[in-house]
Amino acid sequence: MKLKKLGKIFDPTQHRLPNACVQFAQSPQALVFDDFVRIYFSTRAVDTTNGKYLSHIAFVDMRKDLREIIRVSQETVIPLGGLGCFDEHGIFPMNVMRHGDRIYGYTCGWNRRVSVSVDTGIGLAVSSDDGLTFQRLGEGPVLSASLHEPCLVGDGFVKVVGDTFHMWYIFGTGWKRFASDTPPDRTYKIGHAVSKNGIDWVKEEARQIISDRLGPDESQALPTVVQIGERHHMFFCYRESFDFRTANKRGYRIGHAYSDDLLHWTRDDANPQLEIGDGEWDSEMQCYPHAFECDGRYYLLYNGNEFGRHGFGLAEIEAEA
Amino acid sequence: MFTWKKKGKVFTPQAVEGRSWLKEFAQAPATLVFDDFVRVYFSCRPPADANGQYVSYSAYVDLDRQDLFKVLRVSDNPILGLGGLGEFDEFGTYPVSVIRTGNEVRAYYAGWTRCESVPFNVAIGCAVSRDDGKTFTKLGTGPVIGYSPDEPFVLSGPKIRRFNDTWYLWYIAGRKWKVADGRAEPVYKIRMATSSDGIHWNKLNKDLIESRIEEDEAQASPDVFHANGKYHMFFCYRYSSNYRGKANGYRIGYASSSNLTDWVRDDAKAGIDVSEQGWDAEMISYPHVFELDGKTRLFYLGDQVGRHGFGLAELDGTLA
Repeated sequence: MKLKKLGKIFDPTQHRLPNACVQFAQSPQALVFDDFVRIYFSTRAVDTTNGKYLSHIAFVDMRKDLREIIRVSQETVIPLGGLGCFDEHGIFPMNVMRHGDRIYGYTCGWNRRVSVSVDTGIGLAVSSDDGLTFQRLGEGPVLSASLHEPCLVGDGFVKVVGDTFHMWYIFGTGWKRFASDTPPDRTYKIGHAVSKNGIDWVKEEARQIISDRLGPDESQALPTVVQIGERHHMFFCYRESFDFRTANKRGYRIGHAYSDDLLHWTRDDANPQLEIGDGEWDSEMQCYPHAFECDGRYYLLYNGNEFGRHGFGLAEIEAEA
Repeated sequence: MFTWKKKGKVFTPQAVEGRSWLKEFAQAPATLVFDDFVRVYFSCRPPADANGQYVSYSAYVDLDRQDLFKVLRVSDNPILGLGGLGEFDEFGTYPVSVIRTGNEVRAYYAGWTRCESVPFNVAIGCAVSRDDGKTFTKLGTGPVIGYSPDEPFVLSGPKIRRFNDTWYLWYIAGRKWKVADGRAEPVYKIRMATSSDGIHWNKLNKDLIESRIEEDEAQASPDVFHANGKYHMFFCYRYSSNYRGKANGYRIGYASSSNLTDWVRDDAKAGIDVSEQGWDAEMISYPHVFELDGKTRLFYLGDQVGRHGFGLAELDGTLA
């Protein structure tokens, strides 16, 4: 299996964005229609009260060549949560999935804390208008912190296999101050939950399903699963938990694992591997992958440098001949 | 209407010396009865920090079973530590409710964290004791009752009971944050969950007690007691704003049920109100009903939600 890089396909600075957002098109997530592909992403506005960021969901519709842009959303896709709610300060990302004639959006909602910067939970919002707007199932999350997953439950990716909803997501294992002069940093791992209805979930409760490559301080994020042939492939991103923001090879890279039973995963980052080229838009960081099928071809959307400040790109997943 | 005879204040936290974590408050009393004494768990606070913010601890006081006004001892330490960095109970473990199960004592407690847009958030954790309730070990670093679509925040005030082999947890769930005078105040309602093991819970997702004094009435301390073939709930309620004084502050309400899920509120029956004067003249709250040596008794808080301790009342007759 190989990943053939097709370059950056969307630059948020070239478009007018809804919700007064500027820059950032993070964690692209595809919804395939008959004659176009809608790609949701998280973009950012500035909170006028304190200068911090608020992440909002927007989308771009592209022709199926995944080159030509048809339109960028100009209306609010889903408003942020209310005062004190889990998704008050941002939604990033939102994973979309068709279910009957509706579209389920699994949101990762962000809320700011005092002793640490943030906590997250996974919400469910449903669209009855082909994904133009989403309405929350309730003000709270469908998946959140639990006995052995103390914080930072987020990044849900949902797929129905047989008659079971599967969710791959991340859970925080804890916050740690790695250096006396830096704020606390978090570590998170990929977990798994199942459901009969997509609403009530049973977690495997703190079972880390993807082994560490960098050791216990490896953070793993944004799992995405695609079935190619009989085999399930998971892409995700991983990095060091500390000092990961600058160009020092500690930042995000794309990882890969495969499974034939959706329970046991074998990590195999090298096959396929996304190449890193000097001086390119993704030369310092590759993160937030999303795998999907479109007309018999398999693609990987992902972000590059600075966590997607300058947009997202595309690679084609090519099975071995 | 029930007739409660007030017996006076039982415990004054300010009278306890030598504990840096206990300066004032003895909130949310919860009992564990022993042969010779009654262990009463309560929640207290050390002095506020430089920013005027409190943390809360839970501890216990042992009272002489023959004379509940006689304090035998106060725990040397809080029964639970605060949670670690970024955990749900980093800034408080309050209140607590206990129950015996086999040789162990299980504690359900509310854990407090601090937020940016609202002052705090709360979720419910669980801990176990193997030394008759002196010390507890948390079952995990996260909560057993966490946020869900219909219960988005402020899950607090747990009260654990077991009826017919089923575990019941009554608690409160935040409905909204209401901003009054620039300050966000939570509105919360009484809720319930059931479990076969006390660890995995199924929420009923229903407000159990209809609001009476206003739509945004806040309800707390759902204390359920079985007597004479039905279930009795004493709880407390207050207005959503300006509730720190007598006019809008906490009062004790009452409801009854035959099946634990459908409750009929009848506050006129509660039979206890603020006093003309004294330690409980402005508000009464956080009722806890227990039976001891043939008498139905009630611990409750007085003014400033227990800043100066809790008191005792005894029922004339039985709950019916």
